[in-house]
Amino acid sequence: MLIEGKNICFTYEVGGSSFALQEVDIDIAPGEFVVILGANGSGKSTLVRHFNALLTLQRGELKVARIDVRNEQDVWLLRRLCGMVFQNPDHQFVSSVVEEDIAFGLENYKVPRDVIPERVRSALALVEMNGYEKRSPHTLSGGQKQRVVLAGVLALEPEIIIFDEATAMLDPTGRQEVIKIMQKLHRAGKTIIAITHYVEEAVAADKVILMHQGRVLACGRPQAILTNLELMQVAELIPPLPVRLYYDLQQAGIQLNRCPLTNEELAEAICQFRSNT
Amino acid sequence: MRMLPTGEYIPGHSFLHRLDARVKLPCFFILMAAVIGAASLWGYVLVVAVIAVLILLSGLPLPAAVASVRRIYGFLLVIFLMNALFFGGEDVLASWGIVQLSRGGMEQGFRVVGNVVLILVLGNLLTMTTLPTQVTAALASLIKPLKFIGVPTEEVAMILSIAIQFIPTLMEETELIKMAQIARGARFESRKLPERAASFIPLVVPVFISAFRRAEELALAMEARGYRNAQNRTRRKKEPLALRDYGALTVCTLICLVQFLLRRC
Repeated sequence: MLIEGKNICFTYEVGGSSFALQEVDIDIAPGEFVVILGANGSGKSTLVRHFNALLTLQRGELKVARIDVRNEQDVWLLRRLCGMVFQNPDHQFVSSVVEEDIAFGLENYKVPRDVIPERVRSALALVEMNGYEKRSPHTLSGGQKQRVVLAGVLALEPEIIIFDEATAMLDPTGRQEVIKIMQKLHRAGKTIIAITHYVEEAVAADKVILMHQGRVLACGRPQAILTNLELMQVAELIPPLPVRLYYDLQQAGIQLNRCPLTNEELAEAICQFRSNT
Repeated sequence: MRMLPTGEYIPGHSFLHRLDARVKLPCFFILMAAVIGAASLWGYVLVVAVIAVLILLSGLPLPAAVASVRRIYGFLLVIFLMNALFFGGEDVLASWGIVQLSRGGMEQGFRVVGNVVLILVLGNLLTMTTLPTQVTAALASLIKPLKFIGVPTEEVAMILSIAIQFIPTLMEETELIKMAQIARGARFESRKLPERAASFIPLVVPVFISAFRRAEELALAMEARGYRNAQNRTRRKKEPLALRDYGALTVCTLICLVQFLLRRC
C-alpha cells in the first residue's frame, strides 16, 4: 500500500474531546484514484493534511510510501512525494508571474537553476497551459488559475496528488478543466486523492471513502457507495441525479435493470427498459 | 479580477521596460531628488523635459502615464489652497482674518503641486514598466548589504513580493464586502468626511479577517510546496547590468547634478 493508516485520531483543541478524526483506518494503493466524500466538517481535509505532515499525527499510525509521517526529518520528503492543490487558487500564488510561481516549489527543494526552466515548461504542458509563462495568474480564469497551481505541484514530480476541494470554487467549465487533468494524471499512473462534496465527481473514482463526523462511514467502489441511499443520507449528501431518478422511477413502479451513476448510464437503462416492454 | 488602480504594469519592450529594475529604482530616487531640488523656472523646465523624454522612452500613451494625477485633482487643489492661503509672506493680495492670499503662497502652492505631480508621473513610469516581482527582486538586491547588520533581507523580499501580489485580490474582496454591506443598507457615499470615515469602520473588520484567513491558507500552500525559509532555496541567476543600465544611471546622476548647479546660480 502507498498510504496505510490505522486508528488515526485528531483534535484541533489541545487536550479537547471534540475529535475532527476518530479511529480512521485508510489504505490507498499506488495508482489508485480515490475520492474522499463527505459533508462540510466531516474531517476530509483534516485527514489528508496528515499525509504530507501539514498536521501532526496525534494518535494512531500513518505511513506514506513506507515513511512514518511522525519522522520530522522526512517532512520535506513527504511534501515532495504528496503534492497538494487547495481550494482557492488565489490563496496559493506566491508570485505575480506564472513561471515564477511554478518555480517556487523547485527553488524550495534547491533544484539546480539551469534545470528549473525545463521543469516549468513540462509542468505547464501537462496542464495544457503552454504559452502562459509570462502572464499574471490574476488575469486568468478560475480553471486556468487552478491549473497553474497544479503545474506548480506537478513540477515537483510527486507520486501522490491531493486535490483538497480543488474544484469547489470553480465554475462548471473550470471544474471540468480540472477534472479532465485529474483523469489524465491518473491515466499517467499518478495516485490521485480528490476531496469533494460534489457526489458527481466521485463517479469516475476507483474507490470512494465516505466520511461523516470524523469517521469513515464506508469505503468501496462508487457503485456500492453512491447508490446506497441510507449511507448517503447519514453522510448528509444527496446522491447523483441518475440514482435519485432510479429510485423515483422504482417508486412509480418502473424497475430499471440496474442503478445508473451517470446520465449516459441512465439513458441506456431507460432505452433498455423501453425495448424490453 | 480587479487590478491595481493606477501604475499597474503594462507589458512592453520599450527602453524603460528593458532597463534593469536594480537601476530603475535608484534612478527614480535620483530624479525624485532632482524634482524636489528644482528651485527656478529653468530647474522645472529641465525636469519636465526629462520626464517628457522618459514618457517617450516608455512607449506608454500619455493618458496612461498621467492617470494617477487625474485621480487626485481634489487633493492637489487642497494642497494648493492650503499653501496659497496659509503660507503667509509679504506680498499679500487679499486678507480675511488669519487667512491671507499672498503671491509667495501661490508660488509655493504651485511648486508643491508641481512636485507632487512630477513625482507621481515618475512613480507611474516606474511601476508601469516594471513588474512588481522585478521591483521586489531589485529591492532585495539593493538591501542586501543590510544582511551584515542582521536584517533578514531574503525574508523581507519574500514578504514584499507576496504583499504586492496580494493587493489586487484584497481589493476585489474589499469591493465584494462593500457591495454586500450596501445590499444590507450600509452607506458609503456620504459627503460629510466624519460620516464617510465612520461608514468604513464596519468594512475594516471583515477585510482584516479575510486577509488573515488568506495569509493562513497561503502559508499552508507554501509549506505544502516545501517552503522552509528564504535562505535555503535555489538562488535565481542575476543578469549582469547592461551598458544601457550604466548609461541611464550616469545620465540621471548628471541631471541631478545640473539641477543642483542651477539651484546655486
